[in-house]
Amino acid sequence: MTGYLLNNFNIYMFVALFLMCCGILGIVYRRTLIAMLISVELIMNGAGLNFVVINRFLYPERVNGQVFTLFIMGIAAAEAAIALAIIILIFRRFKKIEADTLKEMKD
Amino acid sequence: MLLADIVFVIIVLITMAGATMTVLSGSLIYALMGLIATMFGIAGLYIYLSAPFIAMMQILIYVGAISILIAFAIMLAGPMFKRPKEWTKPIKFISGVITALITFILFISVIMRAEWKGLKAEPVKTTTSDLGRALFDKFMLPFELISLLIVISIIGAIMKALYSRKER
Repeated sequence: MTGYLLNNFNIYMFVALFLMCCGILGIVYRRTLIAMLISVELIMNGAGLNFVVINRFLYPERVNGQVFTLFIMGIAAAEAAIALAIIILIFRRFKKIEADTLKEMKD
Repeated sequence: MLLADIVFVIIVLITMAGATMTVLSGSLIYALMGLIATMFGIAGLYIYLSAPFIAMMQILIYVGAISILIAFAIMLAGPMFKRPKEWTKPIKFISGVITALITFILFISVIMRAEWKGLKAEPVKTTTSDLGRALFDKFMLPFELISLLIVISIIGAIMKALYSRKER
């Protein structure tokens, strides 16, 4: 493939950075815990894209970046399983999943 | 402009629009749909980065497993139409935008200023067998540790569900 845009390093880095900024905005702004978890997934996707981009453009003869992206996917799966179990427990106990209403342990 | 470039621009736009929809939509289901669009866009970017195995794994794991898991959690967490909208106070939105902008400016200045030595435009073909060889040769211990981590996390999730039912 000999396109001009698709071999541009900065576009890929810009997309990864945009995903990370969207994730940060989501963690601060969203109301429920599940939406915060979705934002964390966005950040992890940006990190994985970053690994593959640097592997492709700087060291294309090795596969270390792709292997680390696979590890990131595994960690994201484990984290999603645990976090969703905890969120379902919180919902069973308090009947709410909004982050600002869970203030039993506050003060 | 080649056809590959046009498809690339479309994929990048799908990714960014999905991320924006994930953050700004008012309902959790719409946020999940945006997340799935983002996953598909990133899988397309992986194909452009000459990593087709990672692209397939992205679709299989994220779209097939994690999104379905989040959808089950959304459905278990009560009727969504009774819930208030996702939008919180505007002061939170402003502070979040400021935080994201500061992060964006910081990292974009780092990316632009860094000297990336030896940027190669021509892709080198890396096959899936190279990836498997690296996984079972050089990264043997982290690979096994990841599988152990996933097993422990699944056992932990099941134990949490069981004990909470016993308490009731």
